Amino acid sequence: MTDTFAGTYYDGTGGAAHAVALRRVGLAHYAVEGEGVHRGGSIASLRITPRLARIARTVEFPDGARLLVAHDAAIDAWFPRQGRLEALVDRMEHHAQVVAVAIVICAASLGAGGFWGVPWLSDRIADAVPVEVEKTLGGEVLENLDELGLKASTLAADRRDALATRFRKLAHDAGGDDYRLEFRDAKSIGPNAFAIPGGTVVVTDQLVKLLGDDREFDAVVAHEIGHQRNRHALRQTLRGSFVAIVAALFTGDVSSAGAVVVAVPTFLLHSHYSRAFEEEADRYAFDLLARENESPHWFAAAMNVLEKTRPERGHRMSYLSSHPSTGDRILAAENAAQVFAAAHPDLCPNGVCPGEEETECEDCNDDDESPPTSSENLSCSKPDDDD
Amino acid sequence: MEDIIAVASPPPPPLPPSWAAGMPEQVGPARTEHRFEFSGDAREYFRIWVVNLALSVVTLGVFSAWAKVRSERYFYGNTRLAGQPFEYLAKPLPILKGRIIALVLFGSYVLAGQVSLKLQLATAAVLALATPWLLVRGAAFRARYSAWRGINFRFVPDYGEAYVRYLLLLIPIVFSAGLMYPYVKAKQKSFIVEHHRYGGTWFTFRATPSQFYPPYVLAWSVVVACIFLTSLVAGGILMALMAHEGGTPPEWIALIYAVPMYGSYFVVWAFLAAALANLVYNHVDLGQHRFRSTLKGRQLLWIYAGNTVAILASAGFLIPWAKIRLARYRAENLTVLAAGDLAAFRAETRADVDATAAEMDGLFDIDIGL
Repeated sequence: MTDTFAGTYYDGTGGAAHAVALRRVGLAHYAVEGEGVHRGGSIASLRITPRLARIARTVEFPDGARLLVAHDAAIDAWFPRQGRLEALVDRMEHHAQVVAVAIVICAASLGAGGFWGVPWLSDRIADAVPVEVEKTLGGEVLENLDELGLKASTLAADRRDALATRFRKLAHDAGGDDYRLEFRDAKSIGPNAFAIPGGTVVVTDQLVKLLGDDREFDAVVAHEIGHQRNRHALRQTLRGSFVAIVAALFTGDVSSAGAVVVAVPTFLLHSHYSRAFEEEADRYAFDLLARENESPHWFAAAMNVLEKTRPERGHRMSYLSSHPSTGDRILAAENAAQVFAAAHPDLCPNGVCPGEEETECEDCNDDDESPPTSSENLSCSKPDDDD
Repeated sequence: MEDIIAVASPPPPPLPPSWAAGMPEQVGPARTEHRFEFSGDAREYFRIWVVNLALSVVTLGVFSAWAKVRSERYFYGNTRLAGQPFEYLAKPLPILKGRIIALVLFGSYVLAGQVSLKLQLATAAVLALATPWLLVRGAAFRARYSAWRGINFRFVPDYGEAYVRYLLLLIPIVFSAGLMYPYVKAKQKSFIVEHHRYGGTWFTFRATPSQFYPPYVLAWSVVVACIFLTSLVAGGILMALMAHEGGTPPEWIALIYAVPMYGSYFVVWAFLAAALANLVYNHVDLGQHRFRSTLKGRQLLWIYAGNTVAILASAGFLIPWAKIRLARYRAENLTVLAAGDLAAFRAETRADVDATAAEMDGLFDIDIGL
């Protein structure tokens, strides 16, 4: 065991560096000797900074003097009780297998955390949030939207009542008797529908005017009821918050490289969650429509109608990935419609359900003109949640 | 960018005129040049970084405070001036405390934002009120636990002045449509620099607010010109497309706007960062000593751009390499122009330190990396 270490001594009152030797005297004492320095004392009165790479170790004296010793593991023998945690970490950092395991843990937690960890944790918290809280939040959201330019509906009262009756039936069958439907005039948003936390579904006048068949309206609100049943707005909020917090923790680490480094993955993850929720709400809508003896075809029909209003939407790239592509959604709806037709030969003779014939041709033309790459705008929570 | 002082190169401020040669420099003592040296190694730091990150993950973030100390010590200890390394002496627990507070503050801000505009405005107001205080606390913490030659740095808190420069002065920025921004930035920099001391020696700041205008005006002009040109070109393409095909514009048109605009912002930002860092460091004095900073916008841009691409492409695993690269560049472009012996610094004497202030320092020992 080495018992003498060369080092640089500072007395703590001035910046002068003294070349000295730190020597052990007996078992429990030390002596520092060198250029104009001569001191000694009990080793127990000294503190030493933990081991780290090739960084010099600092021995601190009780009076504020400091001694820098070149990195040397042997000095740890003097201080068996100090920095044991860091000594362990230091050994891990030097161990190739441990580093390999650490890489795996980081990569796995990055992937698993994003794909499962954040959703799982957010959903557990969502489970614990009482519906009343969600309703209060939803009320706030609606208030904000109203302040931001949603106006009272200009639809005729009997038209609204007729649609509200359809909505109530769907909601009742979905187990959401307390769900509410709100109509709003929203020129800036255009044809749209969204689910607000706590059971409120907002449908814009523009959407009602756009949709031709009331069964298309059913399909749209069934999708929004799917968001409500699965509490998507709340869950997306929680997930977004977790991602933002984790991103903030990393920002400190990567500020050197600018905000893109954090913004890009955050955005991709956010879109990933959003798409999963949209797909889930679509599937829920197909099931609910089928239970009502309505074909999921009507969902595809509604999507096709919305597709035509492209000029008013899709001008923001972010929409592209917050929803699955319209083409995929229409395809999924038509597949569900086929399953439905097969299961209800009485309702759909020859696999064609009532109402499908007349729209079929129109759909074809549509698809030719606009390849199924655009998005649509049935969104969850707020219309501006992609900003 | 705010962190020019705090990041990477541990030493606080910097200074003097890079064009000193051409200036009628006041006759002063003969100066010796000491360049900062950085001896960090990307491979070595990668091991430290990845093991500590994994431990932080496994302990659900608790270990992150220890990880931060190890990381800081690595960068400080590998930075040398006149052959002597810097030291980072903070203990993990106050950092853990600071992180918990930051997490709660930021978490409530984010959650509030998802829920209600009013609630978010209220949280934002609370955060804004707390920011100057937190800035001062953070600077005081970092300075107190930074040392060189066995002497600690110190940031002497002045909360009133901090609130004036970081909160009150924001009002004229708004009313002047941003024209006051460089002035306020100058006031903030000088606040940070002049409240720092190394041992018993104060840092002083010679730059005037008017010197902050040329870099900002240049940066603004370039950004405005880029926006103008982009709009012109993209608008032309858009018109041509519409005239030719009619109907709705394709969605990739947004890229024609976004890519050049963000690109020009990134480029200007790098050049501005270099110019401001040089301006600040070249006008800091530490007693008789001065500093010289020679960052180049082009090289800084190259480093930032390379770091961004590398980090994104490696899913974050090249973060250590990026940090080392940047720290090395910064250190190698910072020089102390010493007038006399660097060993002649004296530590603070007891009379320098207000006992109550020191006590309070200990009580609010938190570090929130702002």
